[in-house]
Amino acid sequence: MTPRMLAALIALVLGLGAAPALAQTYPTKPVRIIVPYPPGGGNDIVARALGQKLTESLGQNVLVENKPGGGTLIGAEAAAKAPPDGHTLFVGTIATMAINPSLYKEMPYHPVKDFAPIIHLVNYHMILVAHPDLPVKSVAELIAHAKANPGKLSYASFGSGSTPHLGTELLKTMTGIDMVHIPYKGGAPAIADLVGGQVPVMFIDTPPALTHIKAGKMRALAVSPAQRTALMPDLPTVGETVPGFGFTSWAGLYATAGTPAEVVAKLNGEINRILKLPDIHEQLSKLGADPVGGTPKNLAEWMAAETVKWAKVVKDSGAKLD
Amino acid sequence: MDLLGNLSLGFGAALSPANLLYCLIGALLGTLIGVLPGVGPIATIAMLLPITFKLSPLAALIMLAGIYYGAQYGGSTTAILVNMPGESSSVVTCLDGYQMARQGRAGPALAIAALGSFFAGCVATLIIALFAPVLAELALKFGPAEYFSLMVLGLLAAVVLASGSVLKAVGMVILGLLLGLVGTDVNSGMARFTFGLTDLSDGIGFVAVAMGLFGLTEIIINLEHPERQPQVTAKVSHLWPTKADFKAAWKPVLRGTALGSILGILPGGGALLASFSAYTLEKKIAKDPSRFGKGAIEGVAAPEAANNAGAQTSFIPLLTLGIPSNAVMALMVGAMMIQGVAPGPQVMTERPQLFWGVITSMWIGNLMLVILNLPLVGMWVKLLKVPYRLLYPAILMFCAIGVYSVSNNAFDVGMIALFGLLGLLFFKLGCEPAPLLLGFILGPFMEEYLRRALLLSRGDATVFLTRPISLGFLIASALLLLTIVAPAFRKLREEAFVED
Repeated sequence: MTPRMLAALIALVLGLGAAPALAQTYPTKPVRIIVPYPPGGGNDIVARALGQKLTESLGQNVLVENKPGGGTLIGAEAAAKAPPDGHTLFVGTIATMAINPSLYKEMPYHPVKDFAPIIHLVNYHMILVAHPDLPVKSVAELIAHAKANPGKLSYASFGSGSTPHLGTELLKTMTGIDMVHIPYKGGAPAIADLVGGQVPVMFIDTPPALTHIKAGKMRALAVSPAQRTALMPDLPTVGETVPGFGFTSWAGLYATAGTPAEVVAKLNGEINRILKLPDIHEQLSKLGADPVGGTPKNLAEWMAAETVKWAKVVKDSGAKLD
Repeated sequence: MDLLGNLSLGFGAALSPANLLYCLIGALLGTLIGVLPGVGPIATIAMLLPITFKLSPLAALIMLAGIYYGAQYGGSTTAILVNMPGESSSVVTCLDGYQMARQGRAGPALAIAALGSFFAGCVATLIIALFAPVLAELALKFGPAEYFSLMVLGLLAAVVLASGSVLKAVGMVILGLLLGLVGTDVNSGMARFTFGLTDLSDGIGFVAVAMGLFGLTEIIINLEHPERQPQVTAKVSHLWPTKADFKAAWKPVLRGTALGSILGILPGGGALLASFSAYTLEKKIAKDPSRFGKGAIEGVAAPEAANNAGAQTSFIPLLTLGIPSNAVMALMVGAMMIQGVAPGPQVMTERPQLFWGVITSMWIGNLMLVILNLPLVGMWVKLLKVPYRLLYPAILMFCAIGVYSVSNNAFDVGMIALFGLLGLLFFKLGCEPAPLLLGFILGPFMEEYLRRALLLSRGDATVFLTRPISLGFLIASALLLLTIVAPAFRKLREEAFVED
């Protein structure tokens, strides 16, 4: 049995086998997945793991192409302008698909009109950490400390308009506390200054947080999602103190708008299967990421809800890019 | 940790088979481009930057460092045998080295140059090892205010010690600062000077600037001259210097090493300044200065020791403070940033293996160079016969592939071409591109630290004066500024650079 036949069979078993000839022949050449970040980050690792599994099951090479730069606009633009045949895919994130439209006056692409959602890949947890010298051990104490010292507290982020920035702004509006935003160019320098005690508070990604928390250089206060995470079940969520609060950073897979529905369905079926594999689960949990899956429609609805949610945060915080 | 512990940690890291290999590659490549006139270490390192993406940070720095000091060895070979400096820092070696070769003493000249360099390399390695921990103590006290003041000092020093007109150096630094402003502002997220181009929203790529300004420009300038193939006249018969040679050479080697080590640490210093000063010093204190230029062994020994010592100690400000003292070190900062290593005092404390690994690799590399170079002299000389019409297009092609591979973007390839032409313009106007590169690298950092320091102090600018380390840097900067303005110093400075 050839891999292509196998793929068709799997699609059939999953109830997506009604696809006509096109889906049976797709892919006819190597597929590239554009990642709008440099190699090495969470989204890049997810895309590479996915690419490897897809190569095995689709019978064509599925390669990752990193197109970093322009606050993810460069990679997204390249993907939006690719031919709509399913041979160019795109890892769209909370930034490219939900936040950027509220930040930028002019965008070189439209998240809804230019892309066909395939599947919601993962949600990343972020951890709210504090420098050990800051006399707070929980979210409640942080809020109390901030209220007792108005305007004295600062928080770091990976950049203006980044998820940690807007996530903290959301926390500020929901609790009425005042903290000054100190933006950094990317995660590494921000983490260095947090460890060095220059800035006391930040939402950071799970992998670097784990090392520093273990070394006692950061104190974990809470996790960002609505539910506790399996990786650190003892750590409360921010929402347990601030009801209704919760956010995750996320990524989905997209094709260019106009890609045949059969191709989208075939990829959706394949990836739903891949996201359930144990070795993928293990890789993702190291990144502090939860596999999501679901239908293309699920992703479209999620995007719409996220766009509305962050548009309000951007508006309330006054963050605006050009 | 004590000195021995530090060194053994470094040797442990540098002696891994992969790192030894990259050390060897760097040293060999450095010798190669050192031998070839027209291709220098700055251009080579600029062109190799994209390759280092695939390496570990330690391997990348080891290889790039090897290119720099390897070039000092290679340059002297061409200088002695062909009377053409393979490297700008071996210009003075031509004077007496070639004369020695004409007198049939090419072998001893090469041997003294290599052994003198090796000795200087050993001493410089030790100096770095002793110097570094003292500065590391300070590292933990560095916040945004300290970094800002340190960078002010670094940029001013680059202007003071750049050769040529002060005004032009200031102009180039400012141009560099302006180029560094292009891109998305970190604090507000606003796009600055991008002309609506998404490709510019992350700023101008460091690799494109470095490759264009140094690599491409150098090739264009060389093409202006009709192709001249160097003629190798001297034969290398015996290598080992006589007892009398050693006796005459050991003191100049010591003096050259001392002078080179000091000049290397100074901003704007490095191998070039060191070799000129060492030669001048030897000539001044010699009993019979008329022997110089006629094959005096001191005239080979001192500058060769000095340029190697200078090449190595110029790593001190880079590795300990993150401040590049010359264009090669500026490229190293770029290489570190590409690897995700933020340059600064914290490198020593947070990544001791990287820090000590690079330092010990220099000693290993120097040893390799002595062992390899003397027997291989004949092979290096044959390389001079490779016609440039084959060499240059090959270099250009690798440049284009290299810069494209950085982020799979054709825009960057266009940028090198643009900066290559800009570099040609600077050359014609007599403006040195090194201060521009320093401004370009330090500028964005400076702005970021300035604004972050002010954000953290809630707009209180006295933070730069109330923090003692920051105040110290600012006082030093003010003194430097005075020396630029003071007429007496200006005269001195002009005299110092007449020797070039």
